[in-house]
Amino acid sequence: MANRTDGTAISVQNLRMRYGDNEAVRGISFEVAAGEVFGFLGPNGAGKTTTIEILEGYRKRTDGDALVLGADPGRPTRAWRERIGLVLQECELDPALTVREIVTLFSSFYPSPRSVDETIELVGLADKRDARVGTLSGGQRRRVDVAVGIVGDPELVFLDEPTTGFDPSARRDAWNMIEGLQQLGKTIFLTTHYMDEAQHLADRVAILRRGELVAIGDLNEIGAGAGARSVIRFRMPAESSADDIGSIVEAPVELSGDVATITVDNPQRPLYRLTGWAEERGIVLDGLEAVHPTLEDIFLELTSDGDRGNGGTA
Amino acid sequence: MSDVSLVLRQTYYGLKSTRRNPRAVVFALLFPVFFLVIFNSIFASSGSDVTINGLTIPIKTYFAGGLIAYAIMLNCFSTLLIALTTQRESGQLKRYRGTPVPSWTFIASLILRSLALVTVMIVVILILGAVAYGVDIHGEAILGLVVYAALGTATMCALGIGLSAFAPNADTASVIGPFSAVILSFISGVFIPVDQLPAWLEDIGKVFPLYHLAAGIQTALGTGSGTGLTGNDVLSLVIWAAVGMFVAVRRFRWEPQSARG
Repeated sequence: MANRTDGTAISVQNLRMRYGDNEAVRGISFEVAAGEVFGFLGPNGAGKTTTIEILEGYRKRTDGDALVLGADPGRPTRAWRERIGLVLQECELDPALTVREIVTLFSSFYPSPRSVDETIELVGLADKRDARVGTLSGGQRRRVDVAVGIVGDPELVFLDEPTTGFDPSARRDAWNMIEGLQQLGKTIFLTTHYMDEAQHLADRVAILRRGELVAIGDLNEIGAGAGARSVIRFRMPAESSADDIGSIVEAPVELSGDVATITVDNPQRPLYRLTGWAEERGIVLDGLEAVHPTLEDIFLELTSDGDRGNGGTA
Repeated sequence: MSDVSLVLRQTYYGLKSTRRNPRAVVFALLFPVFFLVIFNSIFASSGSDVTINGLTIPIKTYFAGGLIAYAIMLNCFSTLLIALTTQRESGQLKRYRGTPVPSWTFIASLILRSLALVTVMIVVILILGAVAYGVDIHGEAILGLVVYAALGTATMCALGIGLSAFAPNADTASVIGPFSAVILSFISGVFIPVDQLPAWLEDIGKVFPLYHLAAGIQTALGTGSGTGLTGNDVLSLVIWAAVGMFVAVRRFRWEPQSARG
């Protein structure tokens, strides 16, 4: 497959989108490298859909620069569309056609499509290939969406909330499939509501809040930028006090009910001291855990400002 | 693939989809045939004639012509109105927009599908009419019929596409599509001969294109010589086609109009 993008798949500079008085996207900039899985996150109304629709060529931006596979998405051409695969949010396919018929029809839209049967296998619908789309479950239909999105063998795939409504095992299957796409060398632009999904799949993520980027980078960079720290938690033993334990671990201990919480940059030494102290005295620390902040914690930290849902249009 | 083969391929799958859609099969394909049988069974034995455009024609020919017009309205206007509204609101049109195929090929394939269904219906109605009820058509009438069928298909497709812009959802379109065809059929000389209608009702019917499509085809089939083309009916169809196209071009939308989550 010819990769004419050499390095950068998407480049966005100071992108803006206004609807009347409302500025849904307020000057965001980022780049997506060829071959990476880029997670694009944000609460509802943050401007995610607007941004992705601009990059997909559905919407014309108000201001700023955008290059997708080296071309302006505001002027989509046929040759450009042949290199891009779309999996849209809330989009249905003709329920009366079978999986194979739909995928065959869409494959005919592209100059050098993937094999239809291979594509159907890749999305895990080999045993449903002759079933009509209308008879499939929600998760299976979503996989048909993915199949028609990638059957043209695109270089760049937009996946807009690909697993919304999936049960946990279907989500795992979808993740394997997306990893499979990445191994084929595709660049993937992923939006999702599930932080564990982004954490699992994305090489880098960007977090959008009210039309502005509040964080971008890999998980470590984002965690560091947000000042994210590890948390040690356990049930306070009856015979001890927060001050006692605070002096042992050399960090402040917060009590909430009988749950003690210690927040530190690196949990290794405090944990060693805490467990050593407990072992010596034969104390059992109920519910002991040390947690590194998840993307979800970081996301909530960065996007919660008591101003939910009125910052932009969906 | 060339654009023409893209249109043909989309038409092929569109026809497949239609064949598997019970509503489309019953409403658009079977109803006109049922009505042909029912009306002829009830009225044809009386052997009465109907006068249309100054021409007196046998009632069996009159029904065949009217039901061809009815079939054209169902397979073009009603089918396109429902299909486009459903596909727009469910995101299928938007999905097509995101592929490399030119958007016009999608619309062209829908029109071609309607044309194919109309052709089948005309053949079925004429053969059934000739074999079962002795409808007698002379050679030149076919030319007039073809002109009206083509013009009627264009007009009804344009109106279906145009009106889809105003249908908020698939449910509304599924009501407006078939029922407007049924109601107009009563006052356009399809279900009831126009000479049995009160003048004021016929005057209302005359405003709409189904009346002129039916009258045109009835005249073409019933005329003993010539093509039976009447300027009045042709003009009305052309004007309605222009209105439909104007609205379609101005108001057509590819994206769902209902609020999205």
